[in-house]
Amino acid sequence: MPFDLTFLWQTFVSLLSGIPLALELAALSVATGSLLAFGLALMRVSRRWWLDLPARFYIFAFRGTPLLVQIYIIYYGLSQFPALRHSFLWPVFREAYWCALAALALNTAAYSAEIMRGGLLSVPAGQIEAARACGMARILLFRRIIVPQATRQMLPGYSNEVILMVKSTSLASTITIMEITGIAAKLISESYRPVEVFISAGAIYLSLNFIVARLFALLEWSLWPERRKNRLQSNIVEKKGELHA
Amino acid sequence: MPNVVRAAAVSLSGIRKNFGPLEVLHGVSLTAHEGDVVSILGSSGSGKSTLLRCVNMLEVPNSGNVSIMGEEISLDQRPGRAPRPADPKQVNKLRERAAMVFQSFNLWSHLTILQNVMEAPLHVQGRHRNECRAEAEALLERVGIAAKRNSYPSELSGGQQQRAAIARALAMRPDVLLFDEPTSALDPELVGEVLKVIRDLAAEGRTMLIVTHEMAFARDVSTRTVFLHQGLITEEGPTSEMFANPRSDRFRQFLRRDGASSH
Repeated sequence: MPFDLTFLWQTFVSLLSGIPLALELAALSVATGSLLAFGLALMRVSRRWWLDLPARFYIFAFRGTPLLVQIYIIYYGLSQFPALRHSFLWPVFREAYWCALAALALNTAAYSAEIMRGGLLSVPAGQIEAARACGMARILLFRRIIVPQATRQMLPGYSNEVILMVKSTSLASTITIMEITGIAAKLISESYRPVEVFISAGAIYLSLNFIVARLFALLEWSLWPERRKNRLQSNIVEKKGELHA
Repeated sequence: MPNVVRAAAVSLSGIRKNFGPLEVLHGVSLTAHEGDVVSILGSSGSGKSTLLRCVNMLEVPNSGNVSIMGEEISLDQRPGRAPRPADPKQVNKLRERAAMVFQSFNLWSHLTILQNVMEAPLHVQGRHRNECRAEAEALLERVGIAAKRNSYPSELSGGQQQRAAIARALAMRPDVLLFDEPTSALDPELVGEVLKVIRDLAAEGRTMLIVTHEMAFARDVSTRTVFLHQGLITEEGPTSEMFANPRSDRFRQFLRRDGASSH
């Protein structure tokens, strides 16, 4: 039988058990990566070359090389260094899980930093000047004026990055992590039925990312009150137009 | 005018400012006493906006002193480096006393009009929320946009935005108001509503420095006029005298050209 529905269902169910690990990798790497990215973005916009330059180099290196290579370097490469093997970090970098997490986090930090930098730079200079003219100190200005506007400006780009990260967790399977793709590979080697297995895996990633995209849409909706209002109003106007037509 | 000595609200002395190799102010001194409404006139490029921005340190003069309400701003003007305030805290304190209204309004787009007006009293001055709200609502009432309190800046016309910006400036209870071409970005039919608000403020005896292109308005409203040309004050004095008997050729030309363009 070329396409086995029962097997498809069984596969789907067994792949579900990989979801928690995939989500955990994605969530932890996005969380730590975003903290790192925030620091990098601040360095990029600091207008101090000795802060800007290291951040630029970091972003250049991590955006310019494949994530898979980064995972391999951390997992296979670091153990070549006796200094690391004998250090307190070894129990961490000995584990494939932590290596995958480190690679994912370092990688997303590079991309997210540029997204955040774009958000920070999008705040109109006049509004920053108005805040300064009101006597706002730098931190207050950053917190009250820049961050709220930068956040909502960067959300569409950042949601892309998070979706990419959910998919990138599949690369962790190459270093023995049994998340969705890891389990899928194992099932294929046992059954020789790649179509059903990969269709199931694809469907799971699709649904996860559907939820991620909706969550970001919701966040955007809640952070843009005036756009929300305008859209409601324009809908009303359109409906009226239809009635008249 | 009763012969009383009024305190200097804003005093600029020997202000020089350069942008790179270009010096735009060549040593300008100007004093506005309490209750003065000073118009700063001049063609574009004369340095009038830069001069106004030196009052609240949005531009830091390369040399010269600025005092607001008798307090001199301490500046670090060592040669060979960009001038900067010696004490940012002092500047922030003085900025609360000299509020600015900008040409392009610069309302914060993520806040409602009411939140825009409450922002500085609440978060910079740390005043009580209820008090800030009541005062903000009264100010919006006063500039005629109370109905727009829960709208966002993008939903307002230019004239309404500028009136909101004036309310925002007043909310800090400043001693001095600085207007940087407040009507230059407005459609002609919206200029009047903004000028009316400024006119009312002048009538209350508020101290104001106004950079403007509205000559008729400057003549009606300001007590003193300063005419800037190529980074220097060419002529200054009581407004009525200056407009009736311009002494310098430059200012005479300026008045004539404006007269020609507005008729």
